[in-house]
Amino acid sequence: MREIFSNLLRRKLRSTLTVSGIVIGIFALTTMGSLAEHFNSLLDIGVRYAGAAIPVQAPPEQQGALLPLSKQAELARVQGVSAVYPGYTVQARPGGSAIQLGAPDLIVNQQAGAEQYGLPGPKFAAGRNLAPGQQGEIILGPTIAGDLGKRTGDTVNLPVKPPGAREDFVSHPFKVAGVLTKNGQTDTFAYVSDADARMLLADTLSPTVRSAIDVNTVAQSFTVFPTKGTSLNEMDAIAARVNEQVPGVHAQKPSELVANFKSAGSTFTAIFTGAAILALIIGGLSVVNTMIMAVSERIREIGLKKAVGAHTGQILREYMLEAAVIGALGGLIGYGIGLGLTTLLDVLGASSNLDIFLVTPRLTAIALGFAIGMATLAGIVPALRAARLDPVTALRSL
Amino acid sequence: MATIELVNLTKRYRQGPHTITALDGVDLRIESGDFVSIVGRSGSGKTTLLDLTGLLLRPSSGTVLLDGAETAGLSDGRRADLRGRRLGFIFQEYNLLPALNVLENVTLACRYAGLDRREGRQRARQLLDLVGLAERLNHGPDQLSGGQQQRVAIARALVNRPALVLADEPTGAVDTQTADELLGLMRRLNREEGVTFVVVTHDLDLAGRTDRMVRLQDGVVVSDERLNAA
Repeated sequence: MREIFSNLLRRKLRSTLTVSGIVIGIFALTTMGSLAEHFNSLLDIGVRYAGAAIPVQAPPEQQGALLPLSKQAELARVQGVSAVYPGYTVQARPGGSAIQLGAPDLIVNQQAGAEQYGLPGPKFAAGRNLAPGQQGEIILGPTIAGDLGKRTGDTVNLPVKPPGAREDFVSHPFKVAGVLTKNGQTDTFAYVSDADARMLLADTLSPTVRSAIDVNTVAQSFTVFPTKGTSLNEMDAIAARVNEQVPGVHAQKPSELVANFKSAGSTFTAIFTGAAILALIIGGLSVVNTMIMAVSERIREIGLKKAVGAHTGQILREYMLEAAVIGALGGLIGYGIGLGLTTLLDVLGASSNLDIFLVTPRLTAIALGFAIGMATLAGIVPALRAARLDPVTALRSL
Repeated sequence: MATIELVNLTKRYRQGPHTITALDGVDLRIESGDFVSIVGRSGSGKTTLLDLTGLLLRPSSGTVLLDGAETAGLSDGRRADLRGRRLGFIFQEYNLLPALNVLENVTLACRYAGLDRREGRQRARQLLDLVGLAERLNHGPDQLSGGQQQRVAIARALVNRPALVLADEPTGAVDTQTADELLGLMRRLNREEGVTFVVVTHDLDLAGRTDRMVRLQDGVVVSDERLNAA
């Protein structure tokens, strides 16, 4: 190994340029890959959610309309339905910038017990779940908790009053019962009870609407759960029955949602693959060039090694190992820079929820494995050339 | 101890439409402990003879017998094994690896022969002490004079206790005084360690100080005389 590093140091400029080529490629792979990993993780939960629940909303022609809460019982009577949860969503920080790059901070009602139908349950970094039937408590995702500067046991006033808000804008105090662990998907969410969610929903309605309806009798949407493990086809059939049997609502086929998520996922996979190809071309060509030069310069050394007993396979391994070391160096540096930059951008973007990179163990393994594998592969031809040299020709070369 | 025998050794090269006979039916027996010089003009076949004896080249016909064992039919891998374990090489241009220090250069053959690393280093230290370079173990080749580099090459050739050391113009790149010292060193190793040397040279003065001088001309042995070297 010392010989390899010594040889690399003998040609500092060339080694630096070669390693730089790999650094660029692996840096691109890491940043593009972490972007893809982030969005794919979002899509994954979408796929998991869509594969476990049937979203029910107002029909398309009444988009955004409130639904009577009585529909919950009607939905529950449809064959194949195990549970129905009403859904409420309000903005935690209304009146923000019109252009929002990151995920918005949202307050939603917690669908307690939904994990028994196949959804992931909450994982707490600190604190506990909402106490059943208890109002005035809130669970915060890690990003929103950080944005608001709140920890378990603190009181937080939500929604946050925006500058220039109406005089009648109301913020309600909530005690933070727990803070969730980061999962890259629901980190900007805050969870409250159904009753608190309805209270917050009422505040978003115009005075006219608010006086005309009892907010305790409406929902913005419903989530219909079949039994855990129900196939996508059966869920589609349940959605069709909902649309047939429950008037005034529209259930979307889960298979359509899953297909949409997967289609989006393939876009990010294509970005990732593009970055990988870029890394392959830049890094691979650099390594091939360097190793060819190294072999040309060291022909006599190869001849000498063969004279003192080196086998073809031993020379081949030495040169491939050298290429692999170049790849590992470039990979580590490129990955390190990529990791540093994506972390920095995530930290800088945290205030605007611009948390868009996710460096996973899988990505780390791919980036480093790819760098080493690509360099080794690129080193094969020069290494074969070295290994097959005739010792006499090599020894007598100028 | 080993005996090396060249039997009707012939080597022909293709050069365009022509065939050149570099060595033509050479018979030569080198006994263990010999100190032999091969002399002749340029193109006489000296280096080809050395390369064939060192199993670096395959003969067109004839064979090299190492302790009576046929080598012509051996695979490349087996020939490499024999080179690593039974033969040592010294070249005019030293051929030290610049990426390795003195000690590592000497133990290079141990690496490929799969010999015990610690034992190899111990042997290398002994040899470097013997050639007067015990204080330069960690120096790079570029920190040594030509004569010192050739001493390292001599130590390297001996590290695996070879049956035969083949030296190709070993004093060709150094001054007369250093050449004398190097020859004295090889002579001492021949006498004290019983190492067999075959030295290819065009320096008749050097050849005259070996035990036996073989003269080649146009690929044929024209004389083989025993000398009364000092």
